[in-house]
Amino acid sequence: MAPPSIPVNTLDLNKWILGAAQKDARAFRQLYDACSPRLFGLALRIVRRPALAEEVLQESFIAIWDHAGGYQDSLSAPMTWMTTIVRNKSFDLLRRAGDEVDIDDGKFDERVLASMRDPQANPADALELSSEAKALAACMAVLEEKHRDVIGLAFFHDLSHGDVARRLALPVGTVKTWIRRGLARLHSCLTGGRTA
Amino acid sequence: MNLRGKEALRERLAAEYVLGTLRSRARRRFEGLMHGDAALRRTVAEWRDRIGAMAEFVPPATPPLRVWRAIETRLRLRGPAPAWRFWRGGALAWWRTLGVVSSMVAALLLVTVLQGPGAPAVDDVATLTNAQARTALLVTADRDRKLLTVRLVETEPLAADRVLQLWAVPRDGKPRSLGVLGAGRELSLPLTAQAIGADVALLAVSLEPQGGSPDPNGPSGPILYKGAWVSVM
Repeated sequence: MAPPSIPVNTLDLNKWILGAAQKDARAFRQLYDACSPRLFGLALRIVRRPALAEEVLQESFIAIWDHAGGYQDSLSAPMTWMTTIVRNKSFDLLRRAGDEVDIDDGKFDERVLASMRDPQANPADALELSSEAKALAACMAVLEEKHRDVIGLAFFHDLSHGDVARRLALPVGTVKTWIRRGLARLHSCLTGGRTA
Repeated sequence: MNLRGKEALRERLAAEYVLGTLRSRARRRFEGLMHGDAALRRTVAEWRDRIGAMAEFVPPATPPLRVWRAIETRLRLRGPAPAWRFWRGGALAWWRTLGVVSSMVAALLLVTVLQGPGAPAVDDVATLTNAQARTALLVTADRDRKLLTVRLVETEPLAADRVLQLWAVPRDGKPRSLGVLGAGRELSLPLTAQAIGADVALLAVSLEPQGGSPDPNGPSGPILYKGAWVSVM
């Protein structure tokens, strides 16, 4: 089922979050319509089970409504602010459920990795990405594959260095080094090489 | 742990904090440092935008409608709309249609109503129609005699414990009860200026329990018939 393609426009998102802060139900609905497919996709990816993902999405939008007034203080882009909420709610729910999610025995989701490897792989998807995501995709693509994988695994599954090491059957020291190098390269790529 | 002047370390810790690999004690210590260091908070926010954008690489999926419904209910974004709010938020076009059609029907019906010199004067009239636009009731007002006459033209049969209640619906504010309709094809109700002021645009009939709507704010049951309230002259 292909969800409707709704381009993410940062200005609109900002306006709607501001509206939600003023308890404007219509702005909130527009925010939901524009963002829920992406946020639901993210919740599904993390918690895997649709029923749990629905719960995460519901909790997340309750939080978005309640905390929209504090959005400006977060200093974040609107999409980042919302995905951070969804990610945290997903991890919270999994912790509460005491669930160890099956994450494909280390075989990380192919489509997600494909987007990181080649941002042009799916032009339709690429169109909907925020400018931050487009920039990140371009820089992810130039990382070494192993660096990309450990960073993706940690990000989507709330894993410590030790957890990642266990999943990939690697020494912890190696994982730490890969993550550190990967992040440093990303930083240099994203800031145009200003810092090493 | 002192991070002042250690740019590379600040960046690395901020990045791992956002990624989630900074754990337990180290994480709490870092949060403590963030508290008193605005520049560090900004560094974290920058990293959040950078790697947080990874979340967008996930294929989107449309959530089922029930998720929005649940959110709406929990936040009380749309309280249960009272039955009498049916005309609110409606298009202006609806009012226009109603006005034109009703005036025409009213004119035709008036011919049959106004018979002989003994008949009450008609100052205002409403033809109330059902959902299929069939005329169900005719309501006329005689302002001099302060009398409202209700003629049942074609109404649905009622259960024994139900009654019809007539309402004056103003353009703004709550509907005002004009009275419960008793038995009989033709009824008279007292007409008060307060009940039917110039602001009344519509008359409506709701289905209610014996004695009328228990809700002081308006009808409690469904609206069965409605029609524009128009001045004859």
